[in-house]
Amino acid sequence: MSVKSLIRRNYNKQPELDFPDYKSSIFRAPKNKKISFPSSDSEILGPIFNKNIIGELDNNLTLNFSKNKKSPLGHKIIVYGTVSDQFSNPIEGALIEIWQANSAGKYLHDKDKNSAPIDPNFAGCGRCLTTSRGYYEFLTIQPGPYPYPNRGIEWRPMHIHFSIFGKSFGQRLITQMYFEGDPLLKHCPMVNSIADEKAKKSLIGALDTSRSNTQNLLAYKFNIVLRGIKQTYFENRREGL
Amino acid sequence: MTTSKENLDETPFQTAGPFLHIGCMPNAIKIEKLYQNDLGETPFKNKNESELITIEGSVFDGNGFALDDVMLETWQCDENGEFREESGFARFIPNNLTKKFILKTVKPGSFKGFDGKIHSPYISLSISSRGLNMTLNTRIYFEGDELKNDPLLSIIKNCNENSLIAKKISKHSYLFDIFLQGEEETIFLDI
Repeated sequence: MSVKSLIRRNYNKQPELDFPDYKSSIFRAPKNKKISFPSSDSEILGPIFNKNIIGELDNNLTLNFSKNKKSPLGHKIIVYGTVSDQFSNPIEGALIEIWQANSAGKYLHDKDKNSAPIDPNFAGCGRCLTTSRGYYEFLTIQPGPYPYPNRGIEWRPMHIHFSIFGKSFGQRLITQMYFEGDPLLKHCPMVNSIADEKAKKSLIGALDTSRSNTQNLLAYKFNIVLRGIKQTYFENRREGL
Repeated sequence: MTTSKENLDETPFQTAGPFLHIGCMPNAIKIEKLYQNDLGETPFKNKNESELITIEGSVFDGNGFALDDVMLETWQCDENGEFREESGFARFIPNNLTKKFILKTVKPGSFKGFDGKIHSPYISLSISSRGLNMTLNTRIYFEGDELKNDPLLSIIKNCNENSLIAKKISKHSYLFDIFLQGEEETIFLDI
């Protein structure tokens, strides 16, 4: 017989929940230790999303909100990569949803109090399903950095929010992709809530200039790794033997 | 027994931030031209009102304030205890005036798991928001169900296990408040 289980999450390579430099965590991060238990069906299984929910322009943020085909302001970028599990198996059909600020660092959201202008041709919202090789790609605009209230006013480095569903509810991941070379990265408490340097670096999209000649675009590569599922086999032994 | 070793680290989490609605529920904030529907509006399609239960509650921070900028996601089996990948997922936010969320769904059945054990009916719940560097996970069990042999509940001892059990208000409605901190802090799970 065999038993499936998710590989235990390595919290040394995850952000600290209770991280006072990020002020909002002070009254929201739970104080007690989480309870660990063997994976059950609800963690191993998960919702799967159908191709028919995805519209033709859902992964093209430069056109999916534009009026009369007008381009949003800012420079166009491609963000691409793969979604795989911890055994390097590509995950097909993973749902990736992204959201981001416009080129001026402003979100299309009532709660964004930043005084930067909204862009009438940019919502900052996209989604796609990964291919059979786990590949995804978004065409978007370079998001701007922006000020926000934390310990006084601080600045967020440029980033894109990612939400990912793999095949298991236990693989669910919400994260942010940053941009290679951004000088604000080292000042960001949300980034610094991850102590492990290698883990921190894994959130930084790598600049890829190979498409800059053919498509007039800068590209950033961001590979995403979801938890692996381990199958443990036991020998079948008849009782009494 | 055989096992193989993984070779990659899981990508770290980062907070979903205050503007998660743009990417996850654009219609809820009136970005209406992009997606026909927000994902997970109804966990089970084609159900009559009479087949549904209501779970209502709030998410409280350490100051006792009910939050309205959190996103909740639930995943569950159907009334017969079967997990079906095309249904059973819901996504919702608290109302910005009442600060209460309402989930309308079928009451899940108990099921025999991969582990061969009988699991009491429950709904898996995750919470993402500004101020949470990682998504939190917990479960909603139901008052009045047989709970003492559930594989998870039976390993939780001497702590606030009642925080995982929705209180029965009437035949079809339950109350499930979530406390991020404080004396009543909800039990969160390392799933």
